[in-house]
Amino acid sequence: MTAAVEAAEVGYRVILVEKEPYLGGRVIRMNRYFPKMCPPSCGFEINVRRIRQNARITVYTPATVEELAGTAGNFKARIRVKPRYVTGAYSLDDSFTAQLSATRPNDFNYGMDRTTALYQPHDMAYPTDYVLDRAVLSASDEAKLAEILPAGAVDLDMAEQHLEVKIGAVIVATGWQPYDATKLDNLAFGRLPNVITNVMMERLAARGGPTGGAIIRPSDGKKAENVAFVQCAGSRDEKHLPYCSAVCCMASLKQIRYVREKNENARATMFYIDIRTLGSLEKFYYEMLDDANISFVKGKVAEISEAPDAGDLLVKVEDTLGQGNLHLQFDLVVLATGMVPAGAAEKIPFRLTYDEHGFIDGTTNIPGVYAAGCAKHPCDVSRTTKDATAAALKAIQCLNGGA
Amino acid sequence: METAGNTVHETCETRARAGPRTTPALSATGSPTGVEPDLEFILTLCRTSGDYFLKCFQCGTCSATCALAPDDSPFPRKEMAWANWGMKECLVRDADVWLCYQCNDCSTRCPRGARPGDLLAAIRQQSVMANAFPRFLGRWVNDPKCIPLLLGIPTALLSLVLWLKIPLADALGIGVDTGERIVYSYSSVFPHWLLNGFFFTISALVLLVTIVSVGRFWHGLNANAGAPVKGLWPSIGATLKGVFVHDNFTSCTRERPRYWSHLLVFFGFLALGMVTLWVITAGINPLMQKDFVYPFGFWNPWKLLANAGGAALLAGLSLMIFYRSRNTDQAGAGSYFDWTLISTLLLVILTGFFTEILHYLRLEPHRHIIYFVHLLFVCALILYLPYSKFAHLVYRTTALVHAEYTGRKKGRVQLAARDAVQQPAKEEIHA
Repeated sequence: MTAAVEAAEVGYRVILVEKEPYLGGRVIRMNRYFPKMCPPSCGFEINVRRIRQNARITVYTPATVEELAGTAGNFKARIRVKPRYVTGAYSLDDSFTAQLSATRPNDFNYGMDRTTALYQPHDMAYPTDYVLDRAVLSASDEAKLAEILPAGAVDLDMAEQHLEVKIGAVIVATGWQPYDATKLDNLAFGRLPNVITNVMMERLAARGGPTGGAIIRPSDGKKAENVAFVQCAGSRDEKHLPYCSAVCCMASLKQIRYVREKNENARATMFYIDIRTLGSLEKFYYEMLDDANISFVKGKVAEISEAPDAGDLLVKVEDTLGQGNLHLQFDLVVLATGMVPAGAAEKIPFRLTYDEHGFIDGTTNIPGVYAAGCAKHPCDVSRTTKDATAAALKAIQCLNGGA
Repeated sequence: METAGNTVHETCETRARAGPRTTPALSATGSPTGVEPDLEFILTLCRTSGDYFLKCFQCGTCSATCALAPDDSPFPRKEMAWANWGMKECLVRDADVWLCYQCNDCSTRCPRGARPGDLLAAIRQQSVMANAFPRFLGRWVNDPKCIPLLLGIPTALLSLVLWLKIPLADALGIGVDTGERIVYSYSSVFPHWLLNGFFFTISALVLLVTIVSVGRFWHGLNANAGAPVKGLWPSIGATLKGVFVHDNFTSCTRERPRYWSHLLVFFGFLALGMVTLWVITAGINPLMQKDFVYPFGFWNPWKLLANAGGAALLAGLSLMIFYRSRNTDQAGAGSYFDWTLISTLLLVILTGFFTEILHYLRLEPHRHIIYFVHLLFVCALILYLPYSKFAHLVYRTTALVHAEYTGRKKGRVQLAARDAVQQPAKEEIHA
């Protein structure tokens, strides 16, 4: 988004292709971002306004680039726009969706709640149009929609569109996926419902999330009073992600603040190998050391199992600063899983070179193609936006005859 | 660590933990870090276990994973630190390395591939070598270049006593044929009085040397530990019980073949040892039947026990070789230390069975040659016990007794420990 508006605002025409039916990616799914602790909706709203006001930006959602050919200054791309089945001719609201019965897991909330086949991805979604999941729509729901919606609001025969566009430069900002925590068998994610991941915690804490912002545990809805944060869940591990994702330490510290701000009696313990709060972010951590309800244990968690008290979890770890092996009981455990670049699973159809983890070098192997944000390296929101601006400048230089 | 009265235990622990933060004024060694790294020791460990342990970043996954580590000052994370710091003196006196049965759960969980389980095996070898008396024999036994010398010594000793058979018999005033009731046997070439005397002598010597070596080890362990929590004899009793049921092998969750292979080898060896004791004490054994003749008939219960023991030993060894060569990740590749014991035992048992078969076949003089080779390996096994991996028999038992003695028991679940987590002081973190 940032790269698109930055380039468009200095006079270039931009096509923004987004795989999801909405803009905002991972950032809009966060509750707050560090270190200023402001909600992403603020910056998102500004960017949406910049897009709306700027006729030079064309947004395609849900869309993917199917083919990219040519050379710097003279690329040809084929864009596939998938049907959302909602025409946008009438404005819809949740009174319609409430009348449907078949549901699907809400991927926006990492599957912690469900939506009907007709849904709005989130409160602030842009484009604002609803989306219809054709695969989930049951026959009865289809009949219901025909009955309640104004004619022409939904087009079940909407076809996929294929567009050929000519472009001068490409910015790859494909982002990241959270590491699949079910691969960490010793940490019991997927087996014990009260073991969640850091991205799920963002949704739990968010006002628009599945619990309306209450940090409660999934198994029984009990208020989480004693929360464990397990750092390097799969990160810096030869068998999983050998690299450090650079943001998880700050993300967990931030989430400990959510826990503490929402409940003054809540306690939190962070298990870490090293707390990596670089530069001025160190202050954020340093301030938290004064809070008696927050503990820091230096040691990587080896095992999470069921505790004798229903729903509680037992964390096994060595406190390497001298207390030996600890067996600690918690209400809720949050795994700080790392960032996997989108390029690890799905390569965009171009002869781009990826490293062994799926990241793309910033100035890629192809002149005229530039990577930004987490497609390039794990990084936080502020660095991603700066990176996007830098990539926009590189693209502009390319269009003006540079490389 | 600033006072000489502090125990080595505290010194090892605090040095590794404090590391470079220790001020020069506090250093007992004069080194600014408080640790004098023994670089040669680090290189020795690299040569024997591979240099994987250098990758350790002290996350503690290994200690928390270990099913045998006590909660208080668990292993092997601290040993990984000591090894990386070259703290030889701490490691060769460390009882904890002997509490490990190398199931390698720690190695398979290690996020760095640092293989703590293999490192502890290498440290055990160094512990045997460092405590061995005399030390040069420890070096010889663990050096592949010395194999000819090591085989030459028992060959020479055996040849010498056989060559001196008649003069010795004369000197001792016994006939070469002592009048034992012997059917077809080996005793015409290898008389029992000679073998019994020879093996009794070297066993007594080895026992003496072992006592000195283990005494050194025990002394080191005591320097590392607190006050005893129970008597020595109850500790020994509890340990032997554990050894017999192999309970520590079953605690390790993933590596069941280790349990079976070691169980077979252990009881096979025990059976053979019992039969041997029974036979060599024939002269003074009141339970021995009066019409006893050498050798036992095939269906004699003692002979059956010996054959069953031999078969168990062979089966156990084959399993060990099979699993070690197939599953290197969990079993560990095995070092020279491991393989010398496995192959010596294998040669003993194979030549033993061969001797028995040739005896039944009445093949002359082949059976005598094979019997000589068999005796040679038995002699090597006994002679090098205090210096080879065979020494784990005494070192591990000693360490287990010591753990009982000082109340160092495996993991206790402490559910209330969440209240015990202390807040580290800001100054400490940012020091």
